[in-house]
Formats: sequence, structure tokens, C-alpha cells
Amino acid sequence: MKAILADAVNWYVRLHDSDVDEATRVQWQAWYAADNRHAEAWARLEQLQYRLGNAPRGAAQTLQAARWDRRSAVKALALLLGVGAVGWQGYRVSPWRADYWTRVGERRQLTLADGTRLDLNTDSRVDVVFDAGQRLIQLRQGEILVDTAQDPRPLSVCTAEGDILALGARFSVRQDAGVSHVTVATQAVEVQAKRMSQRLRIDTGYSLSFTADSFGPLRPMEPDAQAWVQGMLVSVDWRLGDVVQALARYRPGYLGCSKEVAGLRLSGAFNLDDTNVALASLEDALPIRVRRMTDYWVRLEPSGLG
Amino acid sequence: MSTVVADGAAHMGLETLYREHSGWLHGWLRQRMNNAADAADLAQDTFIRVLLARSAGMLNEPRHYLATIARGLVIDLYRRRSLESAYLQALAQQPEHYAPSAETRAAVLETLMAIDRMLDGLGERTRAIFLAVQLDGLSYEKAATRLGVSVSTVRKHLARGLMHCLLIDDA
Repeated sequence: MKAILADAVNWYVRLHDSDVDEATRVQWQAWYAADNRHAEAWARLEQLQYRLGNAPRGAAQTLQAARWDRRSAVKALALLLGVGAVGWQGYRVSPWRADYWTRVGERRQLTLADGTRLDLNTDSRVDVVFDAGQRLIQLRQGEILVDTAQDPRPLSVCTAEGDILALGARFSVRQDAGVSHVTVATQAVEVQAKRMSQRLRIDTGYSLSFTADSFGPLRPMEPDAQAWVQGMLVSVDWRLGDVVQALARYRPGYLGCSKEVAGLRLSGAFNLDDTNVALASLEDALPIRVRRMTDYWVRLEPSGLG
Repeated sequence: MSTVVADGAAHMGLETLYREHSGWLHGWLRQRMNNAADAADLAQDTFIRVLLARSAGMLNEPRHYLATIARGLVIDLYRRRSLESAYLQALAQQPEHYAPSAETRAAVLETLMAIDRMLDGLGERTRAIFLAVQLDGLSYEKAATRLGVSVSTVRKHLARGLMHCLLIDDA
């Protein structure tokens, strides 16, 4: 098993390379499918990821700081070094169920056991349940992009309002209060709302919002609707109010704008990893000023106001 | 380490163990920790561990056995204290309204403890690279820049760290 674990680790390291290509993914899938023990080893890597995913933001710094602190304490206790770890039980979870989440401002990419790629946008949470008959991704909050891997088992994303069955698609789903939004970038999906009998198919390039008992109209997708995966927000002729609302999702605390400036229109691309830079560029481009009570309370106002 | 020989009369064994060795253990811990209250607490905890392990019967080398357990507890105590203080410092830098509840803080601390234990035995560089990629979510390139190493070094140490964690899971 040790050799197989080592193979799994090598695949993991290759797949998480920033310039991983399709050929590598195909080879990895062949490896994964070739032997049950391969799948088992991969599942263990996913468990590990899951456990590490429980760590709060900033955990790495805290762990390093604690280590330095402890090192000086333990210097006087040379005898104590080298005694092994105790009690890691209780961190095991059942094999095919995992949940993943991101905090405000975070994004995260995962490769699931079948090779499906899952991107979590800011402040999102999913439960993933794979069994012999199906692949289920339960979206609890926020937004995900799913790039479906081929597999005999159907893949669905469930939201509070209904189910979205992937027909080999790359698509994103966002959970809002009482409404789900689906956008299909390639292939197609079928939507089943909770309290409606007919299904609706969404093809490439279309978006749909639906509630438990009604479908909205099919709309052509915004060209850059999925740019968040690359850490970008792209706006073409948007109202400032809408830009601010979009940016606010990536920032803890309050971000808003006053009525006087909400209607200003602009086009631009913003880096989601640093919304302060985005705010500064808005301030440069528009007759507004950024009013900051703290980093957690920020409001855009007309620049004329004293 | 197979110091446990008999399994009968566990409680009797524990009583004897306590009577004959608790003074010694207390002294052993006192020498290693400069705080008498901590030493007394850990001596008690050590016997509780023995009781829970139900293996106090007859020990060939009871003091060796007790010292092994006590050493693990001392390490955990230092681990907990150092993580607690690092975590509190991190919290202190957060804005005022960001005040997680006592339960959340305890859960975070347990998670940090578990990860820290898991990383025991990793070299400095492997640990730093592993944390940068796995917990901070940096790309290999960014981790390489931050730590001043090559991308292939990042790959190699990431693999080593992952393997270490997976093998601990086996234990």
C-alpha cells in the first residue's frame, strides 16, 4: 500500500501544478480506474485535504509561530523531543462523504474522486456524497463551478430549490436566498425544481434562475460570469451599485455605496484577491471617495462631500 | 514497547503503581517543568491514562512506562500552550467585532493541535512548504517565491509532507 500511496501523492502533486494539461488528467483517470486500491489511496488523500480544510484562515502562521515559541521552551527539555504523536482518532470521517468550504474572500479548487473539478467561490459550502449509484454535490451556500468528469454515475448539484443534473457539462450554480442561479458554459444540464413536475434543459451559453415552484426566463450568459475562477470580476457597463454589491461578497464586513453614486456606470476588471485595490481604482476613475470607518466598514460616497 | 505482562487485577495494579511510584513521577516531572502545579496535574493525568489503558497489571519497568506516558503529556501541554498563545495573538490582531465564541475557539484549537501533531517529525523546510501550499493555498510558484526555493523543491517537499501525513494515518 505504501507504494500506491506514493503514486497517489505524485499524481496529486502533478494535478495541482498550475499548468497541468488535459493529457495528465486523462492519464490520472486511467490510473485511478485501474485498481480499487488506487481509488482507496486517492480517497485517503482527499480525507487529508478535508481535514486540513478545517483549519481556519491564518492557521499556517499560527502553527509556525507556536512552533518557534515551543522550540525555545523545549530547548531545556531535550529529553522530550522525539516522542511520537498521540490520538489522531476522531478526525476520521466516513469515506465517501466530505464537505468543503471557503471563507469570505477565499476561493478553492478541488479534484473529486471521479476527476470532477470543483471550484468554490467566496463564502461557499458543499457536501459531496459519492456512492455506487450517483455523484451528489449538495450546495449549502455560495457559488461553485463544476467541471464534470466522465463517469457512468450521474452527477447532480442539489440546492435548496431543486436539482441540477449535469449532462457532461461545465456549469456554475449559485445559491441565493430562496433562489438558485445556474449558468452553463459547455454542454447542458437539466433542472428539476422541487415543486414542479416538468424538467427544463439549459444549453451552452445560457443562464437560468429558479425557485422551488417557478423557472425564470432563459437568458444568454454574461460573457465573464465565471471569471471569478480566475480571481477576476469583469463588468461591462455596470451600475456602480452592482459592482459594489458584487465586490462586497469577497470582503468581510460592510461595503456599500450611497444612492447618489449608485447609478454611475463603468466598465472594468477587478482583482478579487485584493478588493482594496479595486476600491482604489474606482476612486481614481469616478467622482467618488472611499469612506472608511474601519477596514470592515467601507462606503463609497460622492467626492464633493466634506 | 511491551512492558505489560499481566492483565488481571488492573485496579489493584494501579493502586500499587500509584503508591510506589507517584512520588517518583512527581519528582521526575518537577525536574522537567518549572511549575509545581503543572507537574502535579500531569502526574495525575498520567495515572488516568494508565487507568484508561487498563494495562497497569504488572509492569516490568513501571517507571519507564510512566515516564513514556508523562513525556507525551508534557509535549501535549507545551503544544497546547504555544498554540493557544499564538492563536490568541492572531485573534488580537483581528478587528474588535471578530470575537469567536468559546466553543469556536476550542474547536479551532483542537484542529490546530491535530494538525500540529500530524506534522511532528517533518523537517523545517518540508513543514514550511507543506503549510504554504496546503493551508495557505499558495500555488507552487508563489510558495517557491515566498520561501526562496525552486518550484521543483516545492513539489518534492509537498510530496514528502503528504506522504508523511498519510502514513501517520496508518498507525
